[in-house]
Amino acid sequence: MDTNVAIAPRAAGDTAEPLIRFHNVSHSFGSRQIIDNVDFSVGRSEFVCLIGPSGCGKTTLLRMVGGLLTPSMGEVTYAGHRVDGPESDVAFMFQDYSKALLPWRTASGNVSLALEAARVPRAERAPRIEALLAKVGLSRHADHYPAQLSGGMQQRLQIARCLAQDPAVLLMDEPFGALDAMTRQALQDEMLRLIETSATTALFVTHDLEEALYLGDRVIALYPNPGRVAQIFDVKLPRPRNQLTSREDPEFLRLRREIFDFIREGET
Amino acid sequence: MNATKFAKGAIFPIAALIVWEAAMRIGNVQSDSLAAPSQIAAAFYQALIDGTIPRRTGETLRTALTGLALGGGAAVIVSVILGLVPAAARLMQFSIEVLRPVPAVALIPVAIMTLGFGYGMGIALVAFACFWPVLIYGHSAIVNIEPQLLDVSRVLRLGAFGRVTKIVLPAALPRYFVAFRLSAAVALIISVTVEIAANPLGIGHELMTASQSLHPDLMFAMLLWLGLVGWAVNAVLLFAQRRLFGPAAYSASLQ
Amino acid sequence: MSPVVRLLWFGGSVAVTALLVLLWQLIATYSGIPPVFLPGPDRAWNALVAGIGTGELTRLTWATVERMLYGWVLASMLGIALGALIGSSRRAREYIGPTLELVRPVPVSAFMPIVMAFLGLSGRMVLVVIAIGSIWPVLLATVHGVSNVEPRLLEVSRSLRFSRFQTLWKFALPNAQTDILAGMRLGLTVALVLAVIGEMLASEAGLGYHILTTARSYRSDQLFAGVILLGLIGLASNLVLQAIEWRVLRWRRR
Repeated sequence: MDTNVAIAPRAAGDTAEPLIRFHNVSHSFGSRQIIDNVDFSVGRSEFVCLIGPSGCGKTTLLRMVGGLLTPSMGEVTYAGHRVDGPESDVAFMFQDYSKALLPWRTASGNVSLALEAARVPRAERAPRIEALLAKVGLSRHADHYPAQLSGGMQQRLQIARCLAQDPAVLLMDEPFGALDAMTRQALQDEMLRLIETSATTALFVTHDLEEALYLGDRVIALYPNPGRVAQIFDVKLPRPRNQLTSREDPEFLRLRREIFDFIREGET
Repeated sequence: MNATKFAKGAIFPIAALIVWEAAMRIGNVQSDSLAAPSQIAAAFYQALIDGTIPRRTGETLRTALTGLALGGGAAVIVSVILGLVPAAARLMQFSIEVLRPVPAVALIPVAIMTLGFGYGMGIALVAFACFWPVLIYGHSAIVNIEPQLLDVSRVLRLGAFGRVTKIVLPAALPRYFVAFRLSAAVALIISVTVEIAANPLGIGHELMTASQSLHPDLMFAMLLWLGLVGWAVNAVLLFAQRRLFGPAAYSASLQ
Repeated sequence: MSPVVRLLWFGGSVAVTALLVLLWQLIATYSGIPPVFLPGPDRAWNALVAGIGTGELTRLTWATVERMLYGWVLASMLGIALGALIGSSRRAREYIGPTLELVRPVPVSAFMPIVMAFLGLSGRMVLVVIAIGSIWPVLLATVHGVSNVEPRLLEVSRSLRFSRFQTLWKFALPNAQTDILAGMRLGLTVALVLAVIGEMLASEAGLGYHILTTARSYRSDQLFAGVILLGLIGLASNLVLQAIEWRVLRWRRR
């Protein structure tokens, strides 16, 4: 199967040994086809954004990598083996932070959850929780319950819980979609900083084109109904990115124009 | 899909009945406290045709429904007053909180002493028990009426009576119905409990007599019947609620 | 509303209660109803003080409270365990759920004659009836709470690779806290009712039997003293559970 020529255009980010790979993946719920023959890969430490209108199956693809869903055809591989359930070093960050946190646990307790999952001994948990909360700037809110935190703080807390897994891969499903613009930009930068220091691989789903360009090494645009890869764009913007200069970079503007036109053509 | 769901739910009770019946027959059990399902069914049929069940059911329902009507009716009036006059609600709060936790069954001896046996005591105790839930639900129903509706009544210059009958009660009606539906279960429980504990009337008394005169078949038959009555009362009221109020009552029952 | 104003309103509502007691006193003294049927609060109070003075009422109160609590604790533990078992398995819910719904509408006191037929008129019978009666609210509430976990949280659990038992322990049971506490509160009310009725029927020492015998012998002042104590038990158990809910469910406050 590996000798197949990829349907999607090959992109520069593909290394000899990709960390995550979609092999001719199709999926349907009942008689409705959601994903049609998707084939691409994500290299180690790469930041890949999936973008597309609703109905393009971007969340479905993410859930496949997360082991929450098995494709009806084809397969998804992670580090060379087939994904058939959640992996311990793959963290999943959900969009609806208010539903994805345990409301009856404090911020510390929610971070602790991931450590409990990794069977970290009780005595070692407290210092690690403290360090993780400090990383996302929630030290002062360690004893607060999610209901007492703002939306941005709740999403920071989810980031902390994901980091507690010490993940090799971070899967993010429109994590900042429900936040206001200021909070969103702040969290984008924090997340980039955290990911870059640990060389984590990231797969990021969004419907916001500028967000995808700002964060990604590559942007994969999807067509809807059924979802399939439309085109893959390389984003050659220098890192670390900057909310002002990166967004004013001619390359950023050129790509924004290109993908924008492309998406609009796809709609007609 | 629905049929399999039903079948799955039916397996457990049916299997239990079969095992029960078989155990009784194979063991040839002659018991004063246990009867085989077939014997229970026979006793049930007998009690149905000789008029025991209809008569006893009538007695129980008469107690429960009269008590519910009296206690609930009084609670409607009080809750409207408390709902429209916040000062009255605040002033009555302590009295209500102190009186409400008195278990209705603690008043059984008082009722025996003052009213004697018969419908009167059962009805009085059911009324006492049903008064509180209707009062609490009704009060919150009135307090939570859309303020705009009350503005409307002011704009229309309705008097106090018109305001209550034209605006307040219709707006709070779905939640009152829910209150009465929940209280109907309380009414049935209290009337049966009073019958079991003291009053020589109704299904509860029949159940008690069957137990004491060592007729386990009739005893289980009456228990079964009681379950059916409880289920039917709730089903009828639920149906009525859906027909009368639709989604309004559903959201009311969640609050 | 400021705390001072709230305190004033509370004081006012206590004053109203005092007025109602005074009204009761006036009716009892001047209406001509014989004190055998309607003792005034003074007589009831004297009987209460006298009963506590001899230690008899205290003993009976504890007997009833103990019975109620034993049955209720037993029922709560069993109800939570069974509820968790049934609620956490879809198959168990499908097969056993409808049977539970079938038994639910049976008025709980109706189990008393049944248990009596097996265990006779004894203290053990009363305890079993209390346990059977107050298990339902807890059991049904636990099943509901355990089986209605936010689907997103179940995905979090899957994603973190928690086992079934861990998911139950860390997700489903905490999720059911609210329901369980509400069920336990209802169960405690049921337990008190059944303790009173059970004592009446089985002639077991306790406030329930006490008020029945005092009524039969027309010692109505002692009867009212007993009723007041039962009301206080109801009030106290409500307040204690409210305090527990306030503490346990603090995460729901903003």
